[in-house]
Amino acid sequence: MTNTIDTSIYAAVTEAIQGEVRRILSEGSVSAVVGYAAARRKGSAQPIVITDAARAEELVFSAACVNNLAVYLTKAKKEIPKTGKIGIVVKGCDLKALVGLMGESQLKREDLYLIGVPCAGVLASTAQPSQELTGDTIAPKCRECDARLPAGCDFVPDQRPVSIELAGKYSAEIARLEAMTPAERWAYWKEQFKKCIKCYACRQVCPFCFCEQCLCDRNKPQMVETTPRPAGNTAWHIVRAMHLAGRCAGCAECERVCPMDIPLNLLNRKMAKELKELYDYEAGFEVREKGPLAMYDEKDDQSFIK
Amino acid sequence: MHHKEKHAFEPKIIAFVCTWCTYAGADLAGTSRMQYPANVRVLKFPCTGRIDPVFILKAFQQGADGVLVSGCHPGDCHYIAGNFHARRRFAAFRKLLEFVGVDLGRLQFSWVSAAEGGKWVEMVTDLTERVRGMGPMREFKELGLEEQWSGAIDTPELREAYDSI
Amino acid sequence: MQTYLSENNLKTLLDRLIAGGKRVIAPRLDAGTPLYGPLADAAGVVLDQLPRRSAKEAFFPVCEDIMSYDKEGQQVTLTDVNPASFPETVLVGVRPCDAAAIPVLDAVFSWDYKDEFFLERRKKTTIIGLACTQADDACFCTAVGLSPADPKGSDLFLTPVEGGGYACETFTEKGETLVNGNRELFAEPNGAPALPPAEPQTEKFDLKKVKAWLDDHFEDPAWDGIAVRCVGCGACAFLCPACHCFDIVDEGTEKAGKRRKSWDACGFWKFTHHASGHNPRDLQPKRYRNRIMHKFKYYDDKFGQTLCTGCGRCIRFCPVGIDIAAIVSEISKK
Repeated sequence: MTNTIDTSIYAAVTEAIQGEVRRILSEGSVSAVVGYAAARRKGSAQPIVITDAARAEELVFSAACVNNLAVYLTKAKKEIPKTGKIGIVVKGCDLKALVGLMGESQLKREDLYLIGVPCAGVLASTAQPSQELTGDTIAPKCRECDARLPAGCDFVPDQRPVSIELAGKYSAEIARLEAMTPAERWAYWKEQFKKCIKCYACRQVCPFCFCEQCLCDRNKPQMVETTPRPAGNTAWHIVRAMHLAGRCAGCAECERVCPMDIPLNLLNRKMAKELKELYDYEAGFEVREKGPLAMYDEKDDQSFIK
Repeated sequence: MHHKEKHAFEPKIIAFVCTWCTYAGADLAGTSRMQYPANVRVLKFPCTGRIDPVFILKAFQQGADGVLVSGCHPGDCHYIAGNFHARRRFAAFRKLLEFVGVDLGRLQFSWVSAAEGGKWVEMVTDLTERVRGMGPMREFKELGLEEQWSGAIDTPELREAYDSI
Repeated sequence: MQTYLSENNLKTLLDRLIAGGKRVIAPRLDAGTPLYGPLADAAGVVLDQLPRRSAKEAFFPVCEDIMSYDKEGQQVTLTDVNPASFPETVLVGVRPCDAAAIPVLDAVFSWDYKDEFFLERRKKTTIIGLACTQADDACFCTAVGLSPADPKGSDLFLTPVEGGGYACETFTEKGETLVNGNRELFAEPNGAPALPPAEPQTEKFDLKKVKAWLDDHFEDPAWDGIAVRCVGCGACAFLCPACHCFDIVDEGTEKAGKRRKSWDACGFWKFTHHASGHNPRDLQPKRYRNRIMHKFKYYDDKFGQTLCTGCGRCIRFCPVGIDIAAIVSEISKK
């Protein structure tokens, strides 16, 4: 039995992206484009910034195009000049992050040229870039994706991904953890956080971690221990999840890049689930001025307050 | 009337309170000569809206067995809406703490006005008694003594510190 | 000395060492992730994959206390950590890329200042290396002049042979002591041919040429092009068997606390951030340049070797697919 996922549209998507980027760069309607290019390892891809229409042919889209490129447009990335209109290749999940950044006044829609990708899914961090996309190698976030076709883009190739039916892994895992006792959950996270080496890859790839100075890098006062010990690691991951609550767009980059395989996105998904239940908020394609934790309703639930 | 009971375990309770309502309420309890457990250490903030969830985390890390967060009743905030924002933030934060395995019995939120000296006494007494029943908050203290295996030194002093919790 | 060690006898050896009070560090699964760590018994050892973090942490921990302070009234008591308390250790299943990095670290930790923490652990550790029979396209040990069968850095080196078990060769006194102390577990060489070593596909770098280019190109537009995608995390440096930068911080309260040494990385913005607020490496290309310069030029200038053993971890786990092998091979063609 094969559980191969049909990615045949990616060749046409690649061609369409190249054509559009060539056009917008040569017309001068954008000053730069952030996209994906093939890399040395078989099947692999990496982010690329191009300013020259002649290099449009380097752009690709494949199941190895895992990155959320939105991170390159935040003020945390000073290396990319933010002058003029910038084109960016986005999957649905990446677009939700861009929308969140617009809501937080980090980006303006009119400064962006959005090239949306009809997405059949990308590879999990556990897969080799050369592997075929299957039910086993697909990224967990793609299993429960509701944004295969990004909405509101300036350009979307005219392809449609074949719909796939895969059981969601995050929802099942969250339910499993919720059914545990607090002591069991503590033991579970302790094992996971213990591995953390504070490489901060989770923070650095997060489109929403754009603070000039992270609270966790400060030492006066020091709210979170900077050394990679179990106590400081736990505090760091709790603070990270809290700072992203109501902002996280669910791109799961934190989890993908963790070299210690810590299931970080579980924390984000859990918070998203709670905020949906409490305040009926979900990350989406519509720019909202305020997230659920930046506003209030006088009638909000306070059953937990005496 | 009031007699001091001896307990095997006296929990450390940290109370984060707003200066306008709960702090004044606690003050009222004091000037009214009401008795409440001496286990509580009060930290005063301008508003519950200034009480960052990371403070609660830090309190547990630094040895609190229970945490009380208290401020003005909805609608009474000195800064109009600080407590409304805080309410959402704490609603989310307690869900997160619960998910990583913290027993929410150790964390209490309340609204205590400047006129509610009695309610302050009730809040502090309830939480202290409840946490006393739960025993010491071991999780964060134990975690504080743990090391990555490569940095662990299994010396007698370390063992002693560990056993003393 | 050449001997043969069966798989069962390797496990018996490890169990015996553990029972004898030695700390045995080997690759094992830690919440699902292959990592080096102390074994409770030989059953937990996982030798078929490269551990996620390198073996350097056996000598240069992720984080360690170096001193503690206690203040009572006006009296402050400082207590040093005594390296003599470090346990006798056997480090098992170290791949050639990890093992070869250890002598590289020796050079830096015993240069102008003798790092007693590192050197004491080094003195008390016997390293059992293991030849690689599998490589992926991120592996490039051969490109930096090593090989999947290189015993450099190992006291005792195991090469898997056909029919199971390992051909075993000792290279140091420590290795011989280990074999002699457990002689009945080591048989005469059985003549079985070694399993073919892994064959990393990356072309050999001309390290002299790379260094020559780096000598002249501190300023070069190429750096911007290479590092524009770098997001400034420390994954590459932390997983690297040869990177050795560390930070020292005091953590604790007014009354008591510890001075701790933990891994640091030149990719971080904070790494070169001055107290004045100035940062000489203000942009990521300057920080990434430092990583390449340190590995292929500065270290060579000082110690005559390259600070890279080609394990490929930084390539496999770079969040944005930065490929040091591709970059160096491009430089060597310039």
